[in-house]
Amino acid sequence: MRAVLAVFRHELRRIVTVRPAFSVLILAAVIYAAFYPQPYLNEALREAPIVVVDRDGTSSSREMVRRLDATSDVSVALVLPDLPSAQRAVYERAVSGILLIPQNFERDLLHGRPSPVALYADASYFLIYQRITGAVSAVARTLGAEVESARLVGAGVDPAVAGAVVDPMPLTAVPLFNPQGGYATYLLPAAFVLILQQLLLIGTGLLGTTPDPDRPKAGPLATVAGKHMAYLVPEALILPFYLIALPYLYGIPRLGSAAMVLLFALPFALAVSGLGLIASAVFRTPLAVQLATAAVGLPFFFLAGFAWPPEAMPEAVRLIARLLPSTSAIDGLVRVAQLGAPLSEVAEPFLTLWALAGLYSAIAIALAFRR
Amino acid sequence: MRPRTGLRPGFLLVFQRELVWLRRRRPGLLLLVTLLPLGLMGLLMAIFSAGLATRLPIAVLDLDGSDLSRAIVRTVDATPDVAVAQNVADLAEGRRLILSGTVHGLLMIPRDLERDVKAARRPEVVFFYNTQTLTSGNLVLRGVSNAVPTVAAGIRLSLRTAQGQPMDAAQASLAPIPVQVHGLFNPTLNYAHFLLAALLPSLLQVVVVVASAYSVGLDVETRHRLAILRRLGGGLWPAMAGKVLPYTILSLMVLGIADSVLFGVLDLPLRGQRGILLLAGILFLLACQLLGILLALFLRSTAGAVSVGTLLTAPAFGFMGIGFPRLGMGTFAQGYGALLPGTWYLTARIDQTVRGTPSDLSWSPVLVLVAFVIGLAVLAAWRLEGLRARRRRAGPGRTAAVHGGSAP
Repeated sequence: MRAVLAVFRHELRRIVTVRPAFSVLILAAVIYAAFYPQPYLNEALREAPIVVVDRDGTSSSREMVRRLDATSDVSVALVLPDLPSAQRAVYERAVSGILLIPQNFERDLLHGRPSPVALYADASYFLIYQRITGAVSAVARTLGAEVESARLVGAGVDPAVAGAVVDPMPLTAVPLFNPQGGYATYLLPAAFVLILQQLLLIGTGLLGTTPDPDRPKAGPLATVAGKHMAYLVPEALILPFYLIALPYLYGIPRLGSAAMVLLFALPFALAVSGLGLIASAVFRTPLAVQLATAAVGLPFFFLAGFAWPPEAMPEAVRLIARLLPSTSAIDGLVRVAQLGAPLSEVAEPFLTLWALAGLYSAIAIALAFRR
Repeated sequence: MRPRTGLRPGFLLVFQRELVWLRRRRPGLLLLVTLLPLGLMGLLMAIFSAGLATRLPIAVLDLDGSDLSRAIVRTVDATPDVAVAQNVADLAEGRRLILSGTVHGLLMIPRDLERDVKAARRPEVVFFYNTQTLTSGNLVLRGVSNAVPTVAAGIRLSLRTAQGQPMDAAQASLAPIPVQVHGLFNPTLNYAHFLLAALLPSLLQVVVVVASAYSVGLDVETRHRLAILRRLGGGLWPAMAGKVLPYTILSLMVLGIADSVLFGVLDLPLRGQRGILLLAGILFLLACQLLGILLALFLRSTAGAVSVGTLLTAPAFGFMGIGFPRLGMGTFAQGYGALLPGTWYLTARIDQTVRGTPSDLSWSPVLVLVAFVIGLAVLAAWRLEGLRARRRRAGPGRTAAVHGGSAP
């Protein structure tokens, strides 16, 4: 026990004195907290610019354009006379979609014939496509329903019945947990967990590879235990900062209790520092640790099954993914914090993290024996 | 007389030295610039191998149990996006399934749905869905909001014919303003493969900046080593070119291999002009290398250059606007994105692959990359000249004395 404490005190001092490790564990954590969320702060894409080609030029077609422009999703940036010039505007990236209102739009509408419009939306950016098609379809549906019920009422149908004929069984979609569908609310809770993992992994890797001539004499078990304890000290500040304070500062709703979130984060921190101890034994020099970990963050994020549903991944990939603490931590922490899931519903990732913490610590101890 | 061993100082000597050095002394660096990005691309390809996420599980709470409610469940289950995985007895059970991550949504069909529909009371069908995971949330919503109106359309037809409308007129008035949606440039809406094509430059940007900071950092860390490098190259410029070019070639090979899989095997569209695509690729790699060199020259510490390079490029994916588009970002994020070579390469890449942009509109991102390369090269030259002048002032005797020592 005395050896564990000696290692703990020594390693704690090194966290502050080994400059690269301090930079990664503390400074980088502060920088990323401000820097990483920047692209997503607006939460939603608004006023995606489109061009209108109005071949009808009637009050009905203008009404449709006016309503479209009034939505927050789309703005009518240009009105052009023909399709080729509109296409050019899309290629120039001046606009992201073309709404073509054909000739006789109003006449067909008044005669009770289907009066289609054509929408060409830039599908090379997913969110833009979704916004534009959603907005145009919604405006067309509302306008169409008004025309239809007006026609029915005109034909002598009871207005209440006319409403039912137009829409007999409305579908109400209720988004849960992220009601605005905000991008920051969606991405940041998961991304923060990944940042925590990468910083702790690199930090412990750097500490483990930096020469340490006056390290206290201790057995492998005491060394690993003491280091684990030492790494928990800065994490005791950084985990609450990233998992509780930052989501609050960025206005991300949290349903789970802070205590539950931190309880879940404990095996995560242990598993990551275990992995860091292994990484330092494998890579041997601080530079090798930095080089090997620089590019893996992005693939790790997609492995976590957050941005891309795990149901769509091959079984083998899902198995590999489970070996990374980030996979279970993102799944579990997001459900605990953002969805307010009780521990019983996140037992699987929680136990997986403890298992990984045990496994990686055991490997680290074995590697320390060999040395 | 010219020695055939290639020992004459010059570009070729440094070039050869770098290759030998990579193979014998720094196999790790060789792995970093070749196998690591290829391996990570392979992993990402495996993650997205399904291409489309289909049949995502949802739960159903059917409080009606009528022919109509069963028809709704059947139609929802038949959409490609959604699979009805479970029937639940109450809302609490459905909520529990969503919290446990088993299902992505809950479709609730109210009691007496069929009776109320027939009585024109407009009962509501409610779909609760998890938008915390935006991708799957949007997919299950799409499936359900395609299926329910399909069932409703049948009811609307029968309601109209009951009002005495002829069948064809009733059919025509179902959707007074149908929207014919055409997805430009990506007709199958296959985002997985599209995302893959954008992830490759993001990975390469990190790898190339970091590798270049590392390899150049080792040679410029001390004045002594910088002097050796210059002597080997017979001048700073040939020395630098010989130092940098092996990595340009290796990275270009990695880009070529990964792209031949993307466009050859996964059949991503390649509609633009390959010449422009290749040119943009080379300029992008050079710009990334120069960025790494600048970090090495200004920080004068390999470890520092590598960590600052990582800090700047590892989170760059978000700033390049592939997930959340740049036009929705704030000023700082747009500005930072504009300072990344990857942003402009991705613009050119999307132009020349999926969009097939006409060539007269293709040049602006390429010209930005040219400006990057020239600007960064001028900065690097200015810094190198500065270092040389400082060295002259320090005097040749002193540098010999600090042989192998570290720079201040």
